[in-house]
Amino acid sequence: MDTLFRLVSLQSSDQQSSFKSSRTSSSSRSSKANHHLFHQPFQNREEEKYREECGNNYHVCVDEDFSSSSSSKHLQPHPSTAATPTPSTAATTTTASTAHVLFELADFSFPPDLNIDFASSSSAAAGGGGGGWAAQLLLECARAVAARDSQRVQQLMWMLNELASPYGDTEQKVASYFLQALFARLTSAGPRTLLTLAAASDRTCSFDSTRRTALRFQELSPWSSFGHVAANGAILESFLDAAGGGGSPQPQRLHILDLSNTFCTQWPTLLEALATRSSDDTPHLSITTVVSSASPSAAVQRVMKEIGQRMEKFARLMGVPFKFNVIHHAGDLSELDLDRLDLREGGGALLAVNCVNALHSVSPAGSRRDLFINALRRLQPLIVTVVEEESDLQAASGGDGGGEEGEEGFLKVFRESLRFFSAYFDSLEESFPRTSNERLALERAAGRAVVDLVACPAAESAERRETAAGWSLRMRAAGFAPAAFSEDVADDVRALLRRYREGWSMRSAGEADDPGGAAPGIFLAWKDQPVVWASAWKP
Amino acid sequence: MMKGDFEVVHGAINLVQPSETWDYTPAGFPVPHHISNPPTSPTARPVLDGHCTNTDLSDLIMEQVASPFSEASPSTTNGFPMDTSALPTDNITTSPDEYRSRKAPRRVYERTVCGSGESRSSSKSLAERDHEHGLNMITLLLECAVAISTENLPQANRMLLELTQMASPYSASCAERVVAYFTKAMASRVMNSWLGFCSPLVPHKSILSAFQAFNNISPFIKFAHFTANQAILEALHQKERVHIIDLDIMQGLQWPALFHILATRADGPPHVRMTGLGTSMAMLEETGRQLSNFARRLGMSFEFHPIAKRAGDVDPSMVPSQRGEAVAVHWLQHALYDATGPDRNTMRLLELLAPRVITLVEQEMAHTGSFLDRFVESLHYYSAVFDSLGMSLPFDNPGRHRVEHGLLSREINNILAIGGPARSGEEKFVSWRMELACRGFVQMPMSGNSMAQAQLILNMFPPSLGYTIFQGDGTLRLGWKETRLYTASAWTTRPTR
Repeated sequence: MDTLFRLVSLQSSDQQSSFKSSRTSSSSRSSKANHHLFHQPFQNREEEKYREECGNNYHVCVDEDFSSSSSSKHLQPHPSTAATPTPSTAATTTTASTAHVLFELADFSFPPDLNIDFASSSSAAAGGGGGGWAAQLLLECARAVAARDSQRVQQLMWMLNELASPYGDTEQKVASYFLQALFARLTSAGPRTLLTLAAASDRTCSFDSTRRTALRFQELSPWSSFGHVAANGAILESFLDAAGGGGSPQPQRLHILDLSNTFCTQWPTLLEALATRSSDDTPHLSITTVVSSASPSAAVQRVMKEIGQRMEKFARLMGVPFKFNVIHHAGDLSELDLDRLDLREGGGALLAVNCVNALHSVSPAGSRRDLFINALRRLQPLIVTVVEEESDLQAASGGDGGGEEGEEGFLKVFRESLRFFSAYFDSLEESFPRTSNERLALERAAGRAVVDLVACPAAESAERRETAAGWSLRMRAAGFAPAAFSEDVADDVRALLRRYREGWSMRSAGEADDPGGAAPGIFLAWKDQPVVWASAWKP
Repeated sequence: MMKGDFEVVHGAINLVQPSETWDYTPAGFPVPHHISNPPTSPTARPVLDGHCTNTDLSDLIMEQVASPFSEASPSTTNGFPMDTSALPTDNITTSPDEYRSRKAPRRVYERTVCGSGESRSSSKSLAERDHEHGLNMITLLLECAVAISTENLPQANRMLLELTQMASPYSASCAERVVAYFTKAMASRVMNSWLGFCSPLVPHKSILSAFQAFNNISPFIKFAHFTANQAILEALHQKERVHIIDLDIMQGLQWPALFHILATRADGPPHVRMTGLGTSMAMLEETGRQLSNFARRLGMSFEFHPIAKRAGDVDPSMVPSQRGEAVAVHWLQHALYDATGPDRNTMRLLELLAPRVITLVEQEMAHTGSFLDRFVESLHYYSAVFDSLGMSLPFDNPGRHRVEHGLLSREINNILAIGGPARSGEEKFVSWRMELACRGFVQMPMSGNSMAQAQLILNMFPPSLGYTIFQGDGTLRLGWKETRLYTASAWTTRPTR
C-alpha cells in the first residue's frame, strides 16, 4: 500500500498491448483486429474515433530541434521495477508517419530512476521547500525541457497532467500551476497565455472581491500585514522625528508616495496612529498611490475609485486631514515620470516612499532597476520603505538579468520559483479553509506569476524577485543608507505574528543564513524559510 | 482508513433488529448529519438557506446545451447506438456569436446564479455582475466544447485559460462549480491532445475515501447497494451455497448489510463464497479481511477470493463455479476509470458464469459517442448531481468538496479528457441492459420489496431535497427532480418461475 497511485491501464500485459496498438499506425491496428477475439466491423471505427480524439494531428509550434530530437533518445527502464510494468517494445520507429507528431511514444511507466514517494502528501510540511512529488516531477520535467529530451518531457507531463489539480492539495496545486507554465513555454505561448489570464482575471475583478481577498489575506496570514506593520512603523517614526525637530507652528504635512500592490490595506493603521500619536495638531496626510500594470483595466480603475472614497471617509472619521490621489500608470514602473507628480505639494511636505513588492515589478532588463532607485533617491525622501518577497529569481545571478537566458538560467529560475511558490502555497494551505474563494484568487495570481517566470522572456517580466542582499546592494549603490527598525517596531511585528497560527516567525536579516549577509531589515519566515523582507532606507 | 470505514458500517448494523423480510430494515445507514434534525415544517427548509441558489439547473442547461447541437449531432437519446463516425463536423462549426446571441443561457442564469447568499449593500449591481459572470461562463464553456470538437485546440486553450480565472469550484452557485470542473477536465484533455497521448493514472485511495463520503452525503450509492441487495436476496432464497461475484468491489461497502440478512434468514445462513474484482491486490485483500471478520462475527461460513484484474481481462477459469452453488453477479458502474475492460469479454464471462442473478446499477448517461455527445450528456448529468449536493449541504462543506473534487471531477475528467471508457480503445456497449436482453438474459423486474428499500433510503432525506424514484421497465431509477441518475436492474440466465 505504499504506492498511492497505480497505473491502471498498465496493470496487465494484455492492456498494455491493446493500449499500444490503439496508438500505432493504421497497419498495426488492423493486424491487431485480426486476432481480436470478437472482431466486429465497427472495431476499426472505434479506434479511428479514438485516434481522432487523441488529436495526433494537432500542430504545435515548437522549434525544429525539439521535435526532431525525439526519435533518437529512449529511456532505459530497469527491467524489474515493482509495480511498473516495463513495455520493452514501446519504442516505435515510425518516424516517417509521425512527422507531424510532436512526441513519439515514450514508455509510460514511472521513470525508474525517479524514486517518488506519493504517500507523503504533506511533504511541504518540512518548510514548503518543495521536496514532494510535485517538485520532483516538475524539476525532472524542467531538466528534460532544458536537455530537449522530448520523450521524457512527454512522459513527465503526462504524469503531471494526470496528478495535478488546482483544487486539490498543495502538491496538486503546485503541479497544476507549474504544468500550465511549462505548457505555455513549450508552445511558445508564454506572453499570450499571461495576457489572456490577466485580462480574464481583470474582467472578473470587482471592488468586493478585491477587498474580500486582501482583507482575508491580512486576517489569516501575516504575509502582507508583516510588511505593512514594519513599513508603517518606520514611516511614522521618521516623520515624528522630523516633525518634532522642526518646531514649526504650522501642522506638518506628510506625503506618501505609495508604490504597492496591496490596495491601500496598509494605510488605515497609519491613519489611526497619526490620529492618536501626534500630540497637538494632527498632520496633513496625502497619499499618491500608483497603480501600475501592463494594460490598465476599467475594473481596476473602478476598484481604486471606491478605495479612494473609503479612505477619505475613514480619514474624516479619524480626524486626519487627508488627500488621496491615484495614478494609473500603463507600462513598466521605471517609465513613470516621478517629477510630474506633485509630491511636495508646493514644498514643505515631508516625503515618504513606500515600495511594497514594487521594485521586483520593474523589468530586470538593462539597468532599469538601478535607474528607478536612483530616481527615487533624487526625490530626496525622508524615508524609503522596501518590502520584497525573498527569492532569487534573476536568470543570471548578480547581473542585470535582462539578457537572453540560457538553459542554465531557465533551470535556476524554475527551481527557485518552485521553492518559493511551494512555500507560499503551503502557507496558504495551512492558513485558509479548504474551500476559500479568497485563497483561490491568491493562488491564481501566483499561478500567473509562475507563467511569467517560467514561460516569458525575463526582459518583459514583472515577477523577477531578488534577495534582500541584492536589493540592499542596489539601494546602497544609489546612495541610500539602511535605517534600522526600532525595538518598538520589532515589538509591533512580534505582536502581530502572535495573532496568527504557528509557523510564522520574525528574524532580523543579520541572523538569516543569507550569503550576502549584509542585508539590513527583518524577515518574515514561514517554517524557518525567510519569505518576506522588510527594510527602511534614508538618503 | 479502511478499517474505520468498516467500523462505521458495523456500528450501524448492530443497532438493527434482525428481520426476515427485509422490508423494515433500514440497515446500515449512517444518518447524514443534517437529517438528524429534520425541519419541523415542510415549508421551512432550513437546509436550503444560503447553500445553493440553483434549482432545476440541469433541466435548463439541457435545454440550452442540447438544442444548439441537436441538429448536428446524432445523439444517443434513446439509448441506441448511432453512427457517430458520420458526424458532420462542419455543421457544428457554427460561429460562436450565434450562441452568444441566444437568449437561452441568460435564462439559465436568471434562475440560478443571481443573488448568491449573503445580503450586501450593493446587492443589486452585484447580482447583475454575478448574473453576467455566470452567463459569460456558460457561453464560453459551450464555445470551448465546440472548439474542442472541431480540433481547434489553440482557440479552446485560450477559452480555457479564461475560464480558469472565472469559475470557482467553491462558489455558492452549483452551476459555477460544474463549469470549474468541466474547465479542468477540458484543459486536461487539451494537454493530452498536445502530448498525443492519454492514459489515466488513478489514485485509488483518494477515490475510495471520496466514494465513502459520497455514500454518506447522498442517497445514490445506498440506493444502488440496497436495491441490488434486495434482488440478490430474493434470487438466492433458500439456496444453501451461494457465490457472489462483485465485478468492482472497491471497499465492499454494500455487503455487510446483505450478510446480516443472510445470517438471520429463517432457512439458516448459506455458505457464502465471494469473488471480488478490483485493480489492486492489496486493497482487495484488505476488503476481504474486513468482510471475513464481519462474516465471522455473524457466524456465517464465508470465503473470499480476490482477483486483481478487470472483468474483461479475467480468464473464466479463474472464477470456477462449484456444483450446487447459486451464482450472483453484482456490478455498480461508474465513470471514474475503466474498471472492467472490454465489454465483450465481460459479457462472455457472464454467459459462462450463468448467474442466477445479475444486479446492474448504471449511471443514466451515455459514456460513449463523440466528444460533443459526451459533453452534453455529462453536463446535463453532473449539473443534476451537483445541484442535488448543493441542495443538502452548504457551499463550504468540506465533505461536499471532497466528493465533487475527488469523485465527480474524476468522472468528468475521465469522460471528457480521457474520453470515457471508450477512449482506452476497447469496445464499450452503449447500453448494457439492451445488450443483456440481446444475449438471452432475462430481466427480473425489481420487486415491490426493492421499491420499499429504495423508498426507505429516500425517506432518510427530506423530500424538499428533490430526490425522486422512478419505476418502469422493471427497473428502479433514482434521480434528482426530473433527471434520472442511477438505474438498477436485475437479470437472470433462466426464465424466472
